[in-house]
Amino acid sequence: MPDVRLALVGAFFVLVWLGIGVRLVDVQALNADAYADRGFEQRVRQEELVAVRGSILDRDHQAIATSVDALTVIADPTLIVDDVATAQLLAPLVSRTEDELIDAFASDRRYYVVQRGLTGDEAESFKLYVTANNIKGLFYATEPKRIYPFASLASQLVGFVGGDEGRGIEGLEYRYDEELAGVPGRQVVERDPYGNPIPQGHHTVEDAVHGSDLVLTIDSQIQFTAEKMLEEALLDTGARSGSVVVLDVQTGGVLAMANAPTFDPNNRRHAQPWIFRNGAVANVYEPGSTLKVVTVAAAIEEGIVEPSTVFDVPPEYVIPLEPEPKIYQDVGHEDTLAMSVGEIVARSSNVGTILIQSLLGNETHHEYLASFGLGTSTGEFPAESAGSLEDATDWCVSTCGPSTAIGYRVGVTPLQMAGVFATIANDGVWMEPHVVDAVIHDDLTVDEYEPVSRPVLSKATAQILQRLLMGVVVSEEGTGWRAAIAGYTVGGKTGTTEKYLPDQGAYSETDRIASFIGMAPISDPRIVVAVVLDSPHGENEDGDDLKFGGVSAAPVFAAVMEAALHDLGVPPDAP
Amino acid sequence: MTSNPAVLRRRAAIELDEAVALQLHKPKLRPWIVFTLTVVVAFFGMIYSRISLDRTAFELDELEGRIAEEEARFLELEVEVAQLLDPARIDQAAAELGLQYPAELVSLEVPAIEAEGLDPGVRLAQLDNLLSAQP
Repeated sequence: MPDVRLALVGAFFVLVWLGIGVRLVDVQALNADAYADRGFEQRVRQEELVAVRGSILDRDHQAIATSVDALTVIADPTLIVDDVATAQLLAPLVSRTEDELIDAFASDRRYYVVQRGLTGDEAESFKLYVTANNIKGLFYATEPKRIYPFASLASQLVGFVGGDEGRGIEGLEYRYDEELAGVPGRQVVERDPYGNPIPQGHHTVEDAVHGSDLVLTIDSQIQFTAEKMLEEALLDTGARSGSVVVLDVQTGGVLAMANAPTFDPNNRRHAQPWIFRNGAVANVYEPGSTLKVVTVAAAIEEGIVEPSTVFDVPPEYVIPLEPEPKIYQDVGHEDTLAMSVGEIVARSSNVGTILIQSLLGNETHHEYLASFGLGTSTGEFPAESAGSLEDATDWCVSTCGPSTAIGYRVGVTPLQMAGVFATIANDGVWMEPHVVDAVIHDDLTVDEYEPVSRPVLSKATAQILQRLLMGVVVSEEGTGWRAAIAGYTVGGKTGTTEKYLPDQGAYSETDRIASFIGMAPISDPRIVVAVVLDSPHGENEDGDDLKFGGVSAAPVFAAVMEAALHDLGVPPDAP
Repeated sequence: MTSNPAVLRRRAAIELDEAVALQLHKPKLRPWIVFTLTVVVAFFGMIYSRISLDRTAFELDELEGRIAEEEARFLELEVEVAQLLDPARIDQAAAELGLQYPAELVSLEVPAIEAEGLDPGVRLAQLDNLLSAQP
């Protein structure tokens, strides 16, 4: 009997060992790879490495937009001991209310974002506070945060990012999102059950590619001055909005692109969406008298008129139409006057310019308008408008030529008009306006802007125009004397147009678009400044009507141009 | 006990042979000891190197963390510098200090430095000539 029991126990142990052996063979030999893979999958984790978004820099490589690591505070409500007490402790430090926190902590979810975007000392203070108050159930993660150190500077141009992924949704942030965003990396790492990396464990890293940096042509000092002067102009004139564009004549680089009112992209929650619009490239207006330079330039270039050619200019130019005639009027004279082309420009004579255009013809006129860049966009700015320029074949035979001659029927942006004057300033060569000068990639290779240019006028014609535009500022009859700057010769053109109201299909009886566009120094033009104000009204301290470009926009021009000349170190040229 | 020299020699020879035989059949422990010691040293060496590697990995991990912290700090300082350079901040600070933009521009001419390009006066005269040259 004992032998039997001994045999049974022996058999039992043999079977157990046999089972263990079979299992061992199964685990170690037959399915070894499968089990190893399962274990590996449990330990190994694939994690995305966030690509740091590239910075947007001004021409001096100062950051206008950049990214920093920010602390995100996450709560696991199931680990929070006292919901109410924790909410009371946290509420003063975060952007959520105490009630919101209590509701969230009472829920059974395990992931709740308490606060995003804590940086620097703010983040350190928060952590110390949590430790000091022994708050349980909070975890931290690091996420990139977009910062705009210059706050509202060039905000409409630069734009901003949004959403959880921080993608560009406005301005250059949107237009160059692909370049700025970079490429996320990937790491595969073995971690223990507590999430710590296992030393000597599997660890492969595919580094994230840092987003490219954009180097703009923007000069922050000039940009600031332009914005400040524009803001003051809005206060002084009651204008609804306005834009200033400053161009480097020789390169076409945009030194400043200001719009007002403006906003701070760091804190845009309460800003009205229409303020995000970059009016300098998106707002289309009829340029009025500032476009007369194209009419005159084309006529001189074609040899149709000389600066000294004299016209008998009546106070009115009447086109007989039914039911009522179209009447173009001059301001400032009631009798027919003999005016040279130079005087027509200086006095901004509508009738004189129409007489010149009648000699030029619609087709040639259209060619020059297109050559100066009107009717096309550069494609570099989001929401940039191409404006409107009808084909010459679509121009009516009665009023289209005369109206276009004095700046109506053509829709332009402030940037396009700055480009027109920059062409004249650059001795007749049109340079494509651009704002991104270079793209610096993660591997430090640089894509520099390739200039796009085309000759529009001969040098002689351009220089004649420069001199004629100087007359607008310095001559007794000139409409732009408020644009004069001490120490420098300045040339430019005023513009005052009735504001077209698209929703009413008619021109406003009260509102005007006032503008002044000019260049300096005339001895060697370096800078063009375009100022456009929407609906200025009232009178200045001298009792002059602010709706006129020469009254409201020219002083802004002078202030911005003076600052730009000084900032760029352009020596004075006036005696 | 015999005193026969031949027997004694024979006995001595036999004892010597036995001693030699005993010596020859004695187990050779030294190689085993050396082998064992080598294995033990290698074993502990491997463990030590493994621990060292782990320690180095931890140190590396810590250093990488510190690098990331310093890089983040560097970025924050860059932002701080940029904020200090904000033209609006400088403008406000200047206004608080009572600084004003000079009302009159004074340009200094340095005779030793020749201006680039044409003299502005000459250039303006050329522009005027262009105008007056027209019939």
